[in-house]
Amino acid sequence: MKESKFMSPYVAGVGLGLTMLAAFMLMGRGLGASGAMMRFDVWLLNMFASTHTASNAYFAKYAANPLSNWLVFEIIGVMIGGFLSGALAGRLKFVIGKGPRISNRNRLYFALGGGIIMGMGARLARGCTSGLALTGGATLSLGGWVFMLCVFAGAYATAWFVRKQWI
Amino acid sequence: MQELTITSGRMNPGIDPVLHAWGWEIPVYLFLGGLAAGLLFFSAYFYLKGKENTFVTAVKTAPMFVPVILGIGLGALFLDLSHKLYFWRLYTTIRLESPMSWGAWTLMFIFPLSVLWSATFLKDVFPSWECKIPFVARFIEWLKKKRTWMAYGLILFSAVLGMYTGILLSAFNARPFWNTSILGPLFLISGFSTGAAFILLMSKDEEERKMFSRIDMVLIVIELFLIVHLFMGFLASTQVHVEAAQLFLGGPYTAVFWTFVAGLGLVVPLLAEFMEFRGVHIPVKIPALLVLLGGLILRFIVVDAGQSSRWLYKFMQ
Amino acid sequence: MGPFYKMGFFSEQTGFVIALLTGVAFGFWLERAGFGQSRKLALQFYFRDMTVLKVMFTAIVTAMIGLLYFSLFGWIDLSLIYINPTFLWAQIIGGLVLGIGFAIGGYCPGTSVVGAVTGRIDGMIFILGALLGMFVFGEIFPLIENLYTAGAMGNITLPEYFNISSGIIAFIILFAAVGMFVGGEWLEKKFGEEEA
Repeated sequence: MKESKFMSPYVAGVGLGLTMLAAFMLMGRGLGASGAMMRFDVWLLNMFASTHTASNAYFAKYAANPLSNWLVFEIIGVMIGGFLSGALAGRLKFVIGKGPRISNRNRLYFALGGGIIMGMGARLARGCTSGLALTGGATLSLGGWVFMLCVFAGAYATAWFVRKQWI
Repeated sequence: MQELTITSGRMNPGIDPVLHAWGWEIPVYLFLGGLAAGLLFFSAYFYLKGKENTFVTAVKTAPMFVPVILGIGLGALFLDLSHKLYFWRLYTTIRLESPMSWGAWTLMFIFPLSVLWSATFLKDVFPSWECKIPFVARFIEWLKKKRTWMAYGLILFSAVLGMYTGILLSAFNARPFWNTSILGPLFLISGFSTGAAFILLMSKDEEERKMFSRIDMVLIVIELFLIVHLFMGFLASTQVHVEAAQLFLGGPYTAVFWTFVAGLGLVVPLLAEFMEFRGVHIPVKIPALLVLLGGLILRFIVVDAGQSSRWLYKFMQ
Repeated sequence: MGPFYKMGFFSEQTGFVIALLTGVAFGFWLERAGFGQSRKLALQFYFRDMTVLKVMFTAIVTAMIGLLYFSLFGWIDLSLIYINPTFLWAQIIGGLVLGIGFAIGGYCPGTSVVGAVTGRIDGMIFILGALLGMFVFGEIFPLIENLYTAGAMGNITLPEYFNISSGIIAFIILFAAVGMFVGGEWLEKKFGEEEA
């Protein structure tokens, strides 16, 4: 089957907005992603070094039942939804997303490096694009909007240096 | 301060310290038993339908795994026994009213039968293998002529084995969550569904995969239906049954059951297989793995939740 | 009257099941928009594909207006909604760092999950990186604890900070969003590739 085209960004945006609205209405909170990753991290750490997680001031916040959390189940849902949508559109395949001018291996190094930087940034800001920019944006949180502007600023400032990766 | 007046020794952690007596061994045993029952059933059924050369994986390859699977399952069960040296006593008696007795005797028959059954297909699966001992070779040749009889026996015993994995739990009247007649059929269907998934996982033949994907879809729909009935039955029953159902409808098992068993283990594979059926390309291994995992988690949750559901003294929790 | 969970309509465990369903919708829309593909996300930063901006702002505007109207109708009690607390300096620095990571890695945490489940290998590696980064953050946390709490301002919102009514703020955001959509379409026409 041929890959189908992406949905209009405005339609997808309205869908996303309504999903968020439903989350507010039902649970009184928005969406998120990086918190679930943090909890998964702590869960892994707990298995190997539970005394260490308990003694670290940051990990300790998550140490009790790290996986029994709203965000964790939400991310499992994201996996299901993304998988089903990708399947419906015929977009399930093992590929490496990149521009034409970079090798696969270098792209994966960049992905790893970018992930590490983003992981630290997301923890410092207490959220990521979904948890802080989208949710905070919709609730008109000051920090959410400041954060969003800074994300775009940081990304646009870096873009030129990594242009070989994408274009 | 909360004051407790204990009027009975039952379910009292101070007197009866082990309320959660079963760990990982029993769920694993129930899962592997159901899986083996499913594999044997499909193997025998499609053999009788004359499909042994169409559905090669199901009829010939899959039974090779059964003795191993049953062996591991029985090993887990054996680990759970407190008096390991006395397990043979199960065979000194036949008690028609005891599912333990039923299960022990069924396993007594089905285990050797599965070994003999897979032995007759050894040459098909491993063409280069040659039996060096003339007596054994002659015995296998003789067995091949008896395959039809063995297949009928396998269908009968695999159904009993599949049922028994659930009935074993329903026999514990003292646990409200297990005290339902739906557990037998539910575990039977779930076991067959994991069997179909296992075959899907191994099969390289397009037609066979289509067939088992379709079988799996039907089984999943039945399973969902049974789960709905399980809860409807509880909710229409006595107070303790309602409370047992509440463990899954808002209580501590809610998220894990609906996420991993009903969601990832049943609905997602069903949707994926349905899409595949409609021509969407999906790697068939994904729904198959999810079904297997969902079946395993189902048994863990049912065993654990049953031990948490009580007739008396809800306040002890 | 919502939010239902805060009103005690259902238990925390039922909330997890709702979280799962919400997540399914979230992941579905992200994938529909093409957010499972890092290049599509990253081209945003070269003005070639403004999908990120369009989707984000449509979503924010939809949810924001929805919240305001629901509150106006008395369907939802906004004071019970979780407002992300503001730690100004932590979020400025964190945002810049996260933006750098976005341009280099090509994903953000939510989209990397969608990318990974649709088979993008760079998405899987990115998740690995993010887990590693969060681990490193936890390890060096004692050193940067001051930065982490720098600029603490509590659960403050834009209307409170500027002392303007939320309706006017919402209108300004809506206006800005429409402006950005028009600008985005223009930029795409100018720099964008032919429909790939």
